[in-house]
Amino acid sequence: MSEAVAIAHDGHSHDGHGHDAGHGHDAGHGHHQLTENNFLGLPNIKLAMWAFLGSECMFFGSLIGTYFFYREMSLGGPMPEDIFDVNITSISTFLLLMSSVTMALAVDNARQRNFGKMRAFILATAAQGAAFVGFQIYEFSHFVAHGLKLSTSLFGSTFYTMTGFHGAHVSVGVIWLVMVALLATQGKLNKDKIAINVEVMGLYWHFVDIVWIIIFTFVYLLEFTR
Amino acid sequence: MASIADFAGAQPPVYHQERESKYGLSDWLTTVDHKKIGILYGISGLAGLAVGGLEALLFRIQLAQPDQHIFVGDQFNGLVTMHATTMVFMAVMPLIAAISNYFVPLMIGARDVAFPRLNAFSYWTFLFGVLLMHSSLIFAEFPAAGWTGYAPLTTKPYGAGGIDFWWAGLAMLAISSMIAGVNFVVTILNMRAPGMTLMRVPVLAWMILVVQFLLAFSFPPVTVGLILLAFDRTFGSVFYETSMGGDPHLWQHLFWLFGHPEVYVLILPSMGIVSEVLPVFSRKPLFGHHAVIFSGIFIGFVGFGVWGHHMFTSGMGPIADAAFAVTTAIIAVPTGVKIFNWLGTLVHAKMRLTTAMLFAVTFIPQFTIGGLSGVMHASPPLDLQQHDSYFVVAHFHYVLVGGALTGLFAGAYFYLPKITGRLLDETLGKIHFWMFIIGFNLTFFPMHLLGNNGMPRRIFTYPADAGWNTENMIGTIGVVFQVVSVLIFFYNMMVSSKKGAVAGSDPWDANTLEWMIPSPPPVHNFDFTPVVLSERPLWDHKYTPGFEITVPAQREEIHMPSYSWRPIIVSGFVLLVLIGLLSHIWALSVVGGVGIVVGVYFWVSEPV
Amino acid sequence: MTWSLPHFRRAVARAPGRLLALVALALLAIACNEAHPRNTLQPIADTGDISAWFYHMLLWVDVVILVLVMGVWTFAVLKYRQRPGDTELPPQDFGNHKLELIWTVLPTIIVIAITVPTVGGIFKLAERPDPNQKIIVVEITGKQWWWEFDYIKEGINTANELHVEAGTQVLLHMTSADVIHAWWVPRLGGKRDATPGRRQDMHFIAREVGTFDGQCAELCGASHALMGTRIIVHPPAGEDSYQHWVEEQQEKAKEPAAGSPEEKGRKVFLEKGCVACHSIAGVAELAPGARSRTSGPNLTHVGGRTRIAANTLENNVDNLAKWIKNPQSIKPGALMTNLGLTDEDAKAVATYLFSLK
Ligand code: HEA
Ligand code: HEA
Ligand code: HEC
Ligand code: CUA
Ligand SMILES: [Cu+2]
Repeated sequence: MSEAVAIAHDGHSHDGHGHDAGHGHDAGHGHHQLTENNFLGLPNIKLAMWAFLGSECMFFGSLIGTYFFYREMSLGGPMPEDIFDVNITSISTFLLLMSSVTMALAVDNARQRNFGKMRAFILATAAQGAAFVGFQIYEFSHFVAHGLKLSTSLFGSTFYTMTGFHGAHVSVGVIWLVMVALLATQGKLNKDKIAINVEVMGLYWHFVDIVWIIIFTFVYLLEFTR
Repeated sequence: MASIADFAGAQPPVYHQERESKYGLSDWLTTVDHKKIGILYGISGLAGLAVGGLEALLFRIQLAQPDQHIFVGDQFNGLVTMHATTMVFMAVMPLIAAISNYFVPLMIGARDVAFPRLNAFSYWTFLFGVLLMHSSLIFAEFPAAGWTGYAPLTTKPYGAGGIDFWWAGLAMLAISSMIAGVNFVVTILNMRAPGMTLMRVPVLAWMILVVQFLLAFSFPPVTVGLILLAFDRTFGSVFYETSMGGDPHLWQHLFWLFGHPEVYVLILPSMGIVSEVLPVFSRKPLFGHHAVIFSGIFIGFVGFGVWGHHMFTSGMGPIADAAFAVTTAIIAVPTGVKIFNWLGTLVHAKMRLTTAMLFAVTFIPQFTIGGLSGVMHASPPLDLQQHDSYFVVAHFHYVLVGGALTGLFAGAYFYLPKITGRLLDETLGKIHFWMFIIGFNLTFFPMHLLGNNGMPRRIFTYPADAGWNTENMIGTIGVVFQVVSVLIFFYNMMVSSKKGAVAGSDPWDANTLEWMIPSPPPVHNFDFTPVVLSERPLWDHKYTPGFEITVPAQREEIHMPSYSWRPIIVSGFVLLVLIGLLSHIWALSVVGGVGIVVGVYFWVSEPV
Repeated sequence: MTWSLPHFRRAVARAPGRLLALVALALLAIACNEAHPRNTLQPIADTGDISAWFYHMLLWVDVVILVLVMGVWTFAVLKYRQRPGDTELPPQDFGNHKLELIWTVLPTIIVIAITVPTVGGIFKLAERPDPNQKIIVVEITGKQWWWEFDYIKEGINTANELHVEAGTQVLLHMTSADVIHAWWVPRLGGKRDATPGRRQDMHFIAREVGTFDGQCAELCGASHALMGTRIIVHPPAGEDSYQHWVEEQQEKAKEPAAGSPEEKGRKVFLEKGCVACHSIAGVAELAPGARSRTSGPNLTHVGGRTRIAANTLENNVDNLAKWIKNPQSIKPGALMTNLGLTDEDAKAVATYLFSLK
């Protein structure tokens, strides 16, 4: 019996923030943490985000895999080297990279309960994300003007689909950022839960950022080092 | 040594928010209770089973004799496609979801899943997907490219409008499954009762955990495949356009990268059920409990590396063929470990052959037959002959019907008393069992011979002199047995849930936590959070001195989430987006997209 | 269970035995009935032999494993029951590491034992034919729902019936013009996918003279079931030799006698638009450089085929007329236009086409 009790005790060992952190996006299912044991030392919502990002890896993996499957198999139409403008794309890539910094600062301020600063950094992140999407829209219209459409060639189809879905993920991120900033302003978020919410949002944002670095390296830069 | 669990001392907990369980229409539409969602999944799954079975019955009638003209051409192909899609995605998967939803929180001693509203969202998205796909019969015609939907048969020039409903419906099911996967991964990993270390998690919950990982990681590739298809059909992209250099192998790789893990999604929960049922009715622990768990994990991992065995005839080249042949054959080892451990459980047992036990015991040889014919397919020189023949049809029905469905039937007889509070009738149960098993073997065993004798699958008719007449006739007779037996099962469920013998909390003298609470369980599941001391907490409570589950003196304080309209509404907007895409009425998609954003905003800001 | 009827129980007690007997009878009936003209286990070519060898090898492995599993299972289910009144618990046995090891290692050994020859078989089947020996090379194109065969070297373009020579290497280059098909003659050996945009090779040496049926094995649309094919293996010498067939095929289509019903048929053929899709050497020639017309089979020697519409109907004047009048009534969705010929015209064309041996 004594052994068993010890084990039972073990199950309850929460690390610092674990206990009150199990809520957020799917907010606050009351006192579920009664049975939320934190065996993994992670709050529910964070664990969920990790699982979701794993799933997203397969998603982008498949899209990028499709791009490579079809690389150089286009039968005609503008080729990457004809239309890519690395300078412009580098600017937008830089913006996205910087947005990860502001995102990290937002998480930091959320942890320290500097909600005003946090809101500012969140909005800055959102602005950079929106700018990135703007650049992408510009780039797309530029390419279309040069004769590359979704239906032009395999390159057109794979390029627009892959980068388009990345852009859609950035857009969702922007909406999410704005939404959290808004909810925080209105006081609709439980103050104890803001930190974890912002942290999880940051995970998503960094992930989307990393995906872009992969796409940028393998799609844009690779075409130029050939 | 009490043989019946007794927790008389426990007091109902103090609620922060009173939450009665009601059963009106709006309660069902807005529920976030994992038990009610489980019931919804269960009813949907049983309906799917009836529809999928009916489709099988219809096309089996066409195949009963040579040169018949009842369902010809794409009518037949549509029935086969919908039979498979329905059985896989709308019968077996929701039945698994029913058991996961209802029992995982109970088995691990939790009050609900990690994200109850997300759970409701998964269900509605699933249901809308099912309805969307079936509405193809009204607005277009059944999709008719097989459940594998090989491009370019699904592209615009060759595939009619039914295909649009197919991809849109599947896309919704994919969203639903990915989200459910994430939800249950978190639930099982994080919501366990104190003391329930990973190795004390019941085997069924373990297998469901593996399945959720498979869902979360295997659906994205097919989702991408479907997106590419949808773009081809809707926006004129050229992914599967061979005249533009597109390669039909792309779809096959994306589909089977999902498709093979998917078959383990279908079988692992049934293996889990069998691992729960056999020990209870043997009155012994599961033999090699840890080995059974680890082999399940191993199967899950290796399952991602074998997809090419569906493409041996497609011309991947000898090196790829050899690699996939080896990885595929390796899966026989962990599966064998499970089989042998189940046999080990039966040896020296004191078996009680209830209907649940009959199904569980019969699972073993039936699945073994299917698995062994799978090992034959795993050898490309032989599979060149067997691929797309009735030998494959025999293989996968032995694992799917003899395995997955048989396991789910065992689960139904075992678990339904917890849900309804009443036992199913054993006599009707045994009629169901014998008729089903006999009908099943009548239908599918001869298909091995058909395959050997050169009968291809997915053919709506065949010549009288090909030597396939007897087996096909017997096959159709077998379906009649199966259909009657399933109708008896439905009747049994309906009558027994009202008039059956009262089950009590622990009718089977079982091992796990779900049997320590009343049948049906109260909304909050457990009056107190049990502390788990072993892998068989309830059994040890009853039979092992010193391992009693202690009732705390204090009442627990709990707060249950309340009803919410948000999930079903957001899910409805998702449906709207897809309807807009497949009907080319873009405005609907835009409204849907905006609706989702607004809906999520209200979802997040809803006090619960 | 208060509400069930007692006689149900009795029936249930007897039912399993009776139904099992029924199964046994049914299986017995299967075992000794019809002829099996497409038996994969009676191969007539080297590739089919390899497949059949693997079948028998794996069958034996499987049977041994199944007998073992079923043996223990049957023994356990019969022996280890709870007898009425027995409340004692059985021994609480949690497992056995030694057993666990045995039943992991043994199957691993079996898996290795079957994958080693499997890999050998894969590479054996992937070997190229010997270039120093005679090779008959045929390009196969799957089309909804028929097969086009091009003997490039011989200059022959024909459909649905593949003619080869016993004892000679045959190399098939396979592709498709629309969706994926798979060419499969079970007694010859394994199938291969004919995928649009890809070429896949298959080669074999047939040893038995005769006619063997086969069929498309990959779902390819409405009439997938009616996309048959046939292989006709000729002896190397004699009246019915392969060489003889080749020479026949290289001739132009037979000229009908003036004023004969065949001549009338030819007129209908030329006037009604059949030439939009079909060619007949000497009558409706291909554009220079074109291999075949886009959509329909080459009809130069259609009368010489044993079956028409991809092994769907016996080749005779009545069936030809029936097909020409309404192809869709024979093959759902058939891609040959129903040109609305009168009975008379259809009969005339059929008579003409049948004369093109
Ligand atoms: C529940 C679903 C399920 C399960 C569990 C399996 C399990 C397996 N399947 Fe199956 N399979 C399908 C569902 C499933 N399959 C479906 C639906 C298709 C067709 C899809 C379509 O085309 O429409 C298919 C098709 C399919 C193919 C392609 C055939 C073709 O189209 O040409 C292959 C080829 O390798 C294959 C192999 C296997 C193997 C090796 C296993 C193994 O996991 C089996 C392992 C089990 C055992 C081997 C038995 C027990 C083990 C022992 C007793 C130990 C000792 C044994 C040995 C050492 C051999 N399956
Ligand atoms: C889990 C999945 C599953 C299940 C359970 C089944 C169950 C059955 N399947 Fe199916 N099947 C597939 C998955 C499944 N199948 C797949 C993936 C394919 C491949 C498709 C493709 O090629 O694309 C396939 C293909 C397939 C074929 C090959 C078709 C072809 O290639 O042309 C056949 C042929 O006989 C067949 C038969 C049956 C039969 C007789 C049953 C029986 O077991 C069904 C028994 C019946 C029931 C369980 C329900 C009975 C109840 C009723 C009918 C109630 C009536 C209604 C009311 C009045 C309420 N199936
Ligand atoms: C639109 C194109 C088209 C037209 C016009 C057409 N056919 Fe065909 N024909 C086909 C196709 C395609 C097939 C193969 C159909 C199949 O087997 O599924 C075929 C098959 C046949 C066959 C069987 C050949 C064989 O080897 O099995 C005959 C005979 C035939 N056509 C005769 C005719 C005659 C006579 C006409 C004119 C009255 C005609 N066709 C007009 C497309 C056409
Ligand atoms: Cu061509 Cu099936
Ligand atoms: Cu598989």
